[in-house]
Amino acid sequence: MSKFLFPFAAILCCFTHTQAEQTPPDHAERMKAGIALFRESIRPALVSDCVRCHGDEKVRSGLDLSSRKLLLEGGDSGDAIDLADPSNSFLLALIRHEEEPTMPPKKDKLADSLIADFQRWIELGAPYDKPLLEKSSETTEMRITETDRDFWSFRPLSNPEPPTPESDWPQTDSDRFVFARLRENKLSPSPPASDRDRIRRTYLDLIGLPPTPEQMETAVSMSHEDLVDDLLASPHYGERWARHWLDAARFAESHGFEQDYDRKFAYHYRDFVIKALNADMPWDQFVRWQIAGDEIAPKDPLAMMATGFLGAGVFPTQLTEKEFESARYDELDDMASTIGTAMLGLTIGCARCHDHKFDPISASDYYRFVATFTTTIRSEIDVDLDPKTYEEELAKWESEHAEMDSTLNAYESSPEVTNAFQQWLASDEPSAISTGDWTILDISEAASSRRETTLTVQSDGAILAYGNAPARETYTVKTVPHSLPIHHIRIEALTHDSMKRKGPGRAGNGNFALSNLKLFAVSTGDETKSRKPIKLISAKATHEQNTEHLSVASAIDDDPSGTGWAVDFGGIGKDQAAVFQLETPLTFPQGTALEFQLAFANNGQHSLGRFRLSVSSSTDPAVITGEGRSAKLDEALQAIAGGKTDAKDRKILFPYFAKSDPKWVDLDRARQDLLARKPQPQRTKLQVSSEGFPPTKHHADGRGFPHFYPETHFLHRGDPNQKGDVTRAGYLQVLMRNGKTSEDWHRKPPPDWTRTSYRRFGMADWITDVDDGAGNLLARVIVNRLWHHHFGHGIVTTPNDFGLQGALPTHPELLDFLARKLIANGWKLKPIHREILLSATWRQSSLPYPGHASLDPENRWLWRYPSRRLEAEVVRDALLSASGQLDTTMFGPGTLDERHRRRSIYFMIKRSRLVPMMQIFDQPEPLSSQGSRPSTTIAPQALLFMNNPQVVNWARAMASEVDQEDPATAIKEIYSRALGRPPGESELKDSLHFLEEQTTSYEGTGNGRQLALADLCQTIFGLNEFIYLP
Amino acid sequence: MNHPHLFSRRHLLQRAGAGFGSLGLASILSEEGLLASESSDPLAPRKGHFDGKAKSVIWLFINGGPSHVDTWDYKPELEKMDGKELAGFDKNTGFFANAVGPLMKSPFEFSPRGQCGKMVSSLFPKLGEHVDKMAFIHSGHTESNNHSPALFMMNSGQPRMGLPCVGSWVTYGLGSESRDLPAFVVMSDPLDRGLPKGSAANWGAGFLPSVYQGTWLKPKGDPIDNLNRPSHMNDAQQERQLALLNRLNKQHVTKRPGDEELEARIKSFELAYRMQKAAPEAFDIDREPEHIKSLYGVGEKHCDHFARQCLTARRMVERGVRFVQIYSGGMENQRSWDGHNDIQGNHSQFAGETDTPISGLLTDLEQRGLLKDTLVIWGGEFGRLPLSQKSKKPGRDHNPHCFTTWMAGGGIKGGVTYGESDEIGHHAAVDKVHVNDLHATILHQLGFHHEKLTYTYNGRRFRLTDVGGNVIRPIIS
Repeated sequence: MSKFLFPFAAILCCFTHTQAEQTPPDHAERMKAGIALFRESIRPALVSDCVRCHGDEKVRSGLDLSSRKLLLEGGDSGDAIDLADPSNSFLLALIRHEEEPTMPPKKDKLADSLIADFQRWIELGAPYDKPLLEKSSETTEMRITETDRDFWSFRPLSNPEPPTPESDWPQTDSDRFVFARLRENKLSPSPPASDRDRIRRTYLDLIGLPPTPEQMETAVSMSHEDLVDDLLASPHYGERWARHWLDAARFAESHGFEQDYDRKFAYHYRDFVIKALNADMPWDQFVRWQIAGDEIAPKDPLAMMATGFLGAGVFPTQLTEKEFESARYDELDDMASTIGTAMLGLTIGCARCHDHKFDPISASDYYRFVATFTTTIRSEIDVDLDPKTYEEELAKWESEHAEMDSTLNAYESSPEVTNAFQQWLASDEPSAISTGDWTILDISEAASSRRETTLTVQSDGAILAYGNAPARETYTVKTVPHSLPIHHIRIEALTHDSMKRKGPGRAGNGNFALSNLKLFAVSTGDETKSRKPIKLISAKATHEQNTEHLSVASAIDDDPSGTGWAVDFGGIGKDQAAVFQLETPLTFPQGTALEFQLAFANNGQHSLGRFRLSVSSSTDPAVITGEGRSAKLDEALQAIAGGKTDAKDRKILFPYFAKSDPKWVDLDRARQDLLARKPQPQRTKLQVSSEGFPPTKHHADGRGFPHFYPETHFLHRGDPNQKGDVTRAGYLQVLMRNGKTSEDWHRKPPPDWTRTSYRRFGMADWITDVDDGAGNLLARVIVNRLWHHHFGHGIVTTPNDFGLQGALPTHPELLDFLARKLIANGWKLKPIHREILLSATWRQSSLPYPGHASLDPENRWLWRYPSRRLEAEVVRDALLSASGQLDTTMFGPGTLDERHRRRSIYFMIKRSRLVPMMQIFDQPEPLSSQGSRPSTTIAPQALLFMNNPQVVNWARAMASEVDQEDPATAIKEIYSRALGRPPGESELKDSLHFLEEQTTSYEGTGNGRQLALADLCQTIFGLNEFIYLP
Repeated sequence: MNHPHLFSRRHLLQRAGAGFGSLGLASILSEEGLLASESSDPLAPRKGHFDGKAKSVIWLFINGGPSHVDTWDYKPELEKMDGKELAGFDKNTGFFANAVGPLMKSPFEFSPRGQCGKMVSSLFPKLGEHVDKMAFIHSGHTESNNHSPALFMMNSGQPRMGLPCVGSWVTYGLGSESRDLPAFVVMSDPLDRGLPKGSAANWGAGFLPSVYQGTWLKPKGDPIDNLNRPSHMNDAQQERQLALLNRLNKQHVTKRPGDEELEARIKSFELAYRMQKAAPEAFDIDREPEHIKSLYGVGEKHCDHFARQCLTARRMVERGVRFVQIYSGGMENQRSWDGHNDIQGNHSQFAGETDTPISGLLTDLEQRGLLKDTLVIWGGEFGRLPLSQKSKKPGRDHNPHCFTTWMAGGGIKGGVTYGESDEIGHHAAVDKVHVNDLHATILHQLGFHHEKLTYTYNGRRFRLTDVGGNVIRPIIS
C-alpha cells in the first residue's frame, strides 16, 4: 500500500514515511484543500460513525482509521482506500452499501453529499491534519466497554412477564411466549399430536428408545404429565442426554494424531455425565466440577471424574522438541475454547492470534483465560469410587474387632482360665514347649509389590496374604534375627481357610510357585546401609511338585520366572516347608536386618497365601514344618526359669498354654479370621485433569516433553516464538459487571492445600456467578441447548455461538424466562424439560398445515412440531430395542465391536477408528465442540439398512420373537414393536402379500417363513417412520 | 419439513460463503431425473465459482516424505559438497537430533529427460518420459518436521488434527458427478505396511458434514461396507423387499406432502441399489484388457499393488468420482518413503513400486482424453535433508523447509519448473510455495476462489487456506 503514499509523504511531516521522491506540482494546493475538507466534513464523520470500532475501542477487521498511516495500512480485507484509483476504494464501496458489510453497521447510509466528500478527500490524497486519537502505542489492547456488555447475550437476564393472550391453547408459560410470536406472524398453532405419536415422541426425545408394545399400552392410559415424570426418572434419560453433552464436550477415549493411544480410563467422564444428569445435578455444579471438581470436592470421586472434560481433547503424543511448546499452547487452547463454546457459547479461541474480530474478547483476555490452566495436566490416579461404603465397612469391622477383642480378653482373664494358666506356668510343661532346630523370625515389615495384596502378621508369626491375588507379585519381608549364626533358612507354606483347598497357595487349585527367592543382609547400624545379597545353596523340601522346573531347587536357580517351587500332586491342603542352606553362615552383629524377597512369576496368581520364616544355627536341621523357638519365647522361658515372669512374657506363653483349650482355639481363630477380613479400599484408575499428580505418560516423554510450562505468556500472533509478558489467570472482561475484576474471583488455597493452584476454582466461581460474572450467559446457553434438542433448533439457532456472529434469539423473552426459571429451581434441568414437554407447543402435531408452510417454511415460530431424523445412536438403539436385543447394562468401559448390544453411547470413541455406523448418520468427529449435528440423507445409509450384517441379524431376532403361525398376527406384532401402532389396512395387505411371495421364493430352504418374516422386519426398519420423530 | 437444522439448501446457503452460495447452488444439475429434490442431496453435482479446468483430482501421496534431491530437484552443488559438514545447521531440523551426518550427494544419477530436458533421477526411468506433462514446484515448505502434523498440514492446511481435508472441501464445493460411487475415495497401502500416520484423520471432513469425508477403500475384502446383498437372499428377493419399502414409505409421505427430506430418503434407497450394482463393476479391474493392465504394471511383482490402485483411480475418475487419493507406502520408516536408513535402498524400492504404475496412469489418462480435466498431483508431507542421517547405510532425515511437488493435467502447464531450492536443497529459496499456496492452486484448477470457499463453524468462517494462499499462476496453462 505504501506505493500510493510516496507523492504526499514529504510534506505531511507528521507521518514518518520518507521515501518520497517526486512531488506533483500542485501538491501544496491539493493538501490544503484535502485538509480543509477533512476538518470540515471527514473528521466529524469518522469520529461520530467510524473510529469507535476502527481505532478506539476496537480495531474491527484489522482496520484502524485513527491516523493516515494506519488507514493506508488497510485491514484484513486488504487496502481500505486506493489512492491510484480513488473511486475504486473498498471503503467507498462499503459506505455506498455496494459491498458487505455495509458501513456504518446497522445505521442508515451516510448522506450522498458526505459520501461524495469522502471520494473527493481520497482523490486529494486522504490527508489528516492530525490523528483522531492520542495513542500511546499502536498495539493497544481492545477496550471492553459498557456498550459491549449491553449486547443481548451479555446483559443480565430480563424478567419478562409471560404474555396473556386470549386463547385457551397455551398450557404453560412457554406456550404464552410462543403463542404471542405466532400471532405476530399471523400463524396459529397446529392441533395436538395423536396420543401414540405423542407417546413415541416422548420416549425417543427423553430416553432415546422407542416404547415397547407394553409401554405404549400403559402410556395410553396415563396422563402426559405422569409419562414425562416417569421418563425423566428413567436411568435411560441420562444415557440419552449425556450424548448431547458429549458432542459439546468433544469427548473421546484416545489421544488422536498418529499413534492415537487409547485413554483407557477416560470412560469415567462419560459415566459422570450420565450419573450427573440422572441425579439432576444442578447445572452450575455440573459446570463447576468439570472445570475444578478436583479442587472443589477432591474427596468425591464423581467430582474427580468430571475433570475428564478438560482433558478430553486431542493431543499429539509424538512430538519433536520444536513442537513441545506449541503443542502445550494448543492443549491450553483446546481447554479454553471448549469451555467457551460448550458452556458460554463464545468463540474464545478466535482471540488467540489477535483480538476477536467480532466479539468483545481481547487477545489479552484470551491469554488470561488460558493461563488459568497453566499447570493443569492429564493424569491417571487411583481412586476409591465408593469411599462411603469402604468407610462404613471399616467402621463395622472395627466395632466387630473391638467386640471380638473384648470377648477374648474377658475369657482369658476369667478366674478359671487365669488360675489354670498359673498352674501351667508353675508346671514342667512350659519347658517342653520349644525344642528343635528352628527359630521363628519376628517380622518387622511385610509388603507385596502389588496393592491388591495386603500382608498381615499373625500371632503365630506367620504372614497371611489377603485380597484378590494379582497375576504376578513379589513379597518383601524384613526381620531382625536374634539367634546367630544362621546356617539355614526355612519357609513354611501354611494352609488357611481363606484359600482354595486351604492352600497353601492362592492359585485356583491351592497351589503356589515360588519362582525366585532372594536373601539380603541389610546393615541398619552404619550410615551406608549396605545391602548384601546372601547366596543360597542346596534346597530341600517336605514336598515338591517335580524334580525339574517345579522343584524346590528351582526357586534359587538362574531362571527368575520360568521355574519355581510348587507343591501340587500330593502337597495341596497340607503345611509344607522348604529349607535352604546359606553358602556362608551369617555371623553379622546383632541388629543387622535380613530381607527376604519371594517372587511369584511362573503362573497367574500362584503366590503363597500363608507362610512363616525361620532360621537355624544347626548345620543339618530337620526339614519339617511346625513351630520352633522364637526370640521372645526364649526370653519368656528364661524368665520362668528365673522365677519371675512379667505380663509380656505371660502374653507370649499364654497361647502355648491355651492351644489345648478348644474354646480358646475357636475364639482365637475367629479373631484371626476377622483380621484377615479387614476391609480394603477398592481403588480404580481414573483419568483426571488436575495439577500436581504425575502426568499421563506418552510417547513424547522419551524426548523430555515437560507436560506443562510453569508460566503462560501472551503470544503475539499466537506464535510461541513471539512471546510477550507472562500472563496472570483471569476471565473475560465482557462478562464482569459492577466494577469487578478477575481478582475478585481469585481464590487462595487453604493453608493445608498445596497440590493445585485454585486458579480453576476461581474460574468456576466466575463462570457460575449470576450477579457479577458469567452466570447469566451460562444459564441462557444451557436452556437453549435443551430447547435445541427438544425442537431440533434452538431459540438461538447457533447453540455454540451467542456472540455477534451468532443468530439472534427468535424468542428472547422466552429464553430469559427459561434461564431465570433454571436458576430459580436451583439450576436443575428436569424442571425445564418438564416445562418444555408439558407445553402445547411441544405437543403439536408434526403434520404440515395448509397455508403455514409458505408463511414460515422454516417453522421458526413453531406452528407445528418439527419432525426430524433420529440421531445415529437413537437409530441403532431403536433397532436393538425393537428387535429385543438391547442389553441395558450401564456404565463402564466401552467397546469398538459393532456387534455389541449395549446402547450406542457405550461405543468406545477412538479417534482413528470412529464407528462407521455412527459416522454414517452424522455423529460428529470428536475434535472440537459440536453444538448441533447436521442431518444428511445419503445412499450409504440406505445400504446399511439393506445389507448390514447386524441389521440382518436384528431383523432375524425380531422375526423369531413374533407369532410364527399367523402372518397377520406377526405383522401386527412387528408394527407394534417397531412403530408403536397397528398396521393400516393397506399396510397389512401389502405386508401379507409380501410375506406370501417372499415365503414362496424361499421354497426349499426349509425355513422360508422365518426368512420372509426377517425380510419383512428389515423392511420395516427401513421405513422413514421408523427413524423419524413423529 | 423444513427447519434450519436440516441439511437443506438453506443450511448450505447459510453456512457457505456468499460467493459460493450465490454461484454454486444456483446451478445445481438435475441428473437423469434421479433426484426428487436436488437441493437436499449434499452430493448433487455443483459448479464452483467459475469454470475450472479440472473436474477431478488424483493425488498420489508419496507418504513418509520423498527426498527431493534424490528425485526431481537436481543439485550439482551438493555433489561438490559431499562429505562436508553444514555449518550452522540446526540439529533439531529433522526428527533425530543425534544422528546428523555431513552433506551427502544423491546416490542416484540424473539425466535430462523429455523435450524440456528436465534433469530426473535414475529412480524414474518411465516417469521421466512424462516430464513434458508436469509442472515441478521445487520451493515447497511446510510447518512441521513430524509426520502426522505434516500430513495434516498437507491434507487440511493446518498442522492440527480435525480440519476438513482438501478432498472434503472439494466435494463440499462441487458435489459428485457419480451417482453410483463415493465422491471422494482414498486408497492406502495394501501390503500390510499400515496407514499413513494419523490414519483416517487425513481424509476426515472435520467440521464439514460427514458426508464429505473420504471413503477409505479397504485394501482387503470388500472395499466398501454394506455393498453386498445379504447372502441368504437373491436379487429378486431384495428387489421385492425394496418394492415393499418404497410402497410403504410412499403411503407415509402422502400425508406429509412437500417434505423434501422424506422424499430424498426414499430416493436414497434407489440410489443405494444402483450403487450396489455398479460399484463392484467399477472396482473390478480385471475387466480391463491385458494391454491396459500391462501398461500400469499389473502382474509385475514389485509394483502390482500400486498398479491396481492407479488403474482403479482411472476407472473412478472416468465414472465421475471427484477426488481420489492413493498413498504410496505404509506408516513410516522402511515401510514408506521415510528413508531414515538407507535412502538409496528405500527410495529404489518405493520408486520401483510406483514408476510404472504412475507412468501408465498418465499415458492412459492422456490417451482417453481424461488428462485435460484430471489434475494429477505427486507429493508427500515434506522433503528430506541434503545431509545424511547416520545409520548402517546412510539415510536422510525430515526436511520441512523444502520439498518438491509436481502436478500434471487439469489445466497445468507441462514441462515447467516453478521456484527453486537453495544450492543444496536445504531451504526453499526462490518463489517459495507454502502448503496454502498448493491448496489455493488445486482449488483454482477446480473453479474456486480459495478465499470464498468457506464454511461457518462455531462462529468462525473457515477456509482451506486459512489466512494465506496464493495461486501459483505461472504453472497454469
